[in-house]
Amino acid sequence: MRNFKKVVAMTLIAASTASLAACGSGSKDNGKKKITLAWWGGDSRHTATKAAVEKWKATHTDFEVDLQYNSWDGYEDKMSTKFASKTQADINQINWGWLNAYNKQANLFMDLNDSKLGGKLDLTQFDEKYLNQCKDSNGKVVAVPVSITGRIFYWNMTTFKAAGIEKAPTTYDELKAAGQKFKEKLGDDYYPLALNELDRTILMVNYLESKYNKEWVTDNKLNYNESEIKEGYAFIEDLENNHVIPTLKKLIGDGADSLDKNSNWIDGKYAGIFEWDSSAVKFQKALNKDKKPEFVVGDEIKFGDNKGGYTKISLAFAISQNTKFPAECADLVNFLLNEEDGVKEMGLERGTPLSKKALSTLDAAGKLKGDMVTEANAKVIANSPFQMDPTFEDQKLKGSTGAYYTTMQNASYKSKSLDDAAKDLVTAINEVLGSNK
Amino acid sequence: MAKKQASAAVAIPKQKFSFKKSLENNMGFFFILPWLIGFCVFKLYPFGASLFYSFTDYNLFKGINEYGFMNYKTIFETERIVKALIVTFKYAFITVPLKLVFALFIAYILNFKIKGVNFFRTGYYIPSILGGSVAIAVLWKALFRDEGLINTALGFIGINGPNWLADPNYALFVICALRVWQFGSAMVIFLAALKNVPQDLYEAASIDGAGKWRQFFKITVPMITPVIFFNMVTQLCQAFQEFNGPYVITKGGPQGSTNLISLLVYDSAFKTNEMGMASAMAWVMFVIVMVLTIISFISQKHWVYYSDEDGR
Repeated sequence: MRNFKKVVAMTLIAASTASLAACGSGSKDNGKKKITLAWWGGDSRHTATKAAVEKWKATHTDFEVDLQYNSWDGYEDKMSTKFASKTQADINQINWGWLNAYNKQANLFMDLNDSKLGGKLDLTQFDEKYLNQCKDSNGKVVAVPVSITGRIFYWNMTTFKAAGIEKAPTTYDELKAAGQKFKEKLGDDYYPLALNELDRTILMVNYLESKYNKEWVTDNKLNYNESEIKEGYAFIEDLENNHVIPTLKKLIGDGADSLDKNSNWIDGKYAGIFEWDSSAVKFQKALNKDKKPEFVVGDEIKFGDNKGGYTKISLAFAISQNTKFPAECADLVNFLLNEEDGVKEMGLERGTPLSKKALSTLDAAGKLKGDMVTEANAKVIANSPFQMDPTFEDQKLKGSTGAYYTTMQNASYKSKSLDDAAKDLVTAINEVLGSNK
Repeated sequence: MAKKQASAAVAIPKQKFSFKKSLENNMGFFFILPWLIGFCVFKLYPFGASLFYSFTDYNLFKGINEYGFMNYKTIFETERIVKALIVTFKYAFITVPLKLVFALFIAYILNFKIKGVNFFRTGYYIPSILGGSVAIAVLWKALFRDEGLINTALGFIGINGPNWLADPNYALFVICALRVWQFGSAMVIFLAALKNVPQDLYEAASIDGAGKWRQFFKITVPMITPVIFFNMVTQLCQAFQEFNGPYVITKGGPQGSTNLISLLVYDSAFKTNEMGMASAMAWVMFVIVMVLTIISFISQKHWVYYSDEDGR
């Protein structure tokens, strides 16, 4: 009996030790060397990336690629924890702002010109001006930009036509007139445009930039004062008052996590969005096919005498400092971004590629002509004169309890004056800029 | 006595160390070693570390640059955090009594010998298993949206339901309702307590002419006060830690009306990476729960009846 007890005790200890050991991750799997690749996206991006990786594996039979993919929701929280504990994947798809938010302090990613990469990543395919935006504080390129993006209007013309409007709005007055026509012809539940708190903030910045022709933030300094920003909030209020956009109370009451999942968007009651150019497919696919929606890219709407709005590197690939296989990681990234087989599989799932080789490959394959994402991307680049400041997407501003959300809600619910909303936003932005020094 | 002392004075011969003997003597320790390791690594260390971090400006990426009480000062000076504390109190003080009353009521009914009672017991317990899950929170959101099932049902009886999720006056109610709905575990404990109330007390009371209500308030409730007390304390602790419901359903909105302190702890820790501030908020929450628990324990001598201690 005593021996039995001993055996049980020892087995328990061994089991608990083994379970702790299992928490770690090995870099070899079934005798194969393993590298990890992490990204966020929708189902179509997952499918395309998996197919591209399979093709790479066909020529690298001694490697296993562990795919870690997720939707965007909650992804940054998960990744920031991994970055903090330096347990990030070997290859990481990163949001451009993360270079400032995380890599600046933690030195997470490899210099892509490092000799350890064996020259396998062809950076000459990328424009110098975009590579410069992916440099760390030591001037080393630590991420390879995949595409650039910006916000643009997309319209569901089926609803517009039902309201008696044949042409999508291109001026502020036309937009306001559309709001009134929607209300009169289709009813109170129909709006030409729907904007959540973040969309409103970005459109407000667009409006102010086109009015004042100055960048939102330069050299870590906010270029707008409270009185100017108050005009921005008044502009958003004007859109609500003219039935162009639903109030936030109405939008929150819809109970959808995002606009593409909102039944009013799906059914065409909300007929417009102001979204990232690369998000078009997601919104188009969400529309109710029975209503034969005519989904189109909008033209620039002039809110002032100048062009407003910004572009940013939508996402980039970075190789972890901790990887045991830097050359193979570089080879895989190069395959996905530059090589014909990889590029064809990846298609336009990460926006219109910045790689010249990828662009010519897709063009030759006829994938660019008539493509909505490409059309939208060209319009964004033509109409957006500014670049996004990396602090614009700081969690204290952009997070679901951040200043963009709280100030826009306070203004829309009228629980605070527009003066207070502007004051609160300026305070929050200056706090973020202050901590970025 | 003298003999005993004499024998104690005799030197005990040195025993040779035996690994086998030592192993046998410490067998119990080895059995609980896995739990002890888990407790030290996942409970004790984080507990101590979070207390230390709460007095620092520890940021996951910037490290520690400052020590002191600044986080605690910020907590009580920041409108958003104070509001979250108030919302958390409201949430706890609405859900705990409602849940206890509801659980006791259902347990009382299920204590009667009615047909299919086991089916009902299982049915009422299921929300407790499902209730905390993300899937149910998503379902809850769908139920309470403006054109959701609840408002559609209200519309059938001519009531124009409110905008539950978007109205700051109603959003907290939606979150509270989800918690109250998970009354199964409290109900099961009440049910066990009800079964232990001696039947002769009821018989004596009915002979004396006491009706069902009088019996309930004069016999049932006093006899199960230890269980009411237990449920109250555990539910209070859980209510202050609620996270899933508000995180999935409202994300703390609209206008911070459902922004519980646990959401702010999460935001500070995993969105803005301010572990020092997150630890301080967690400790404030811990102290609040501890004080409320102490008050509950002190108050029990006035209302909790322990039959095995001469009534007290």
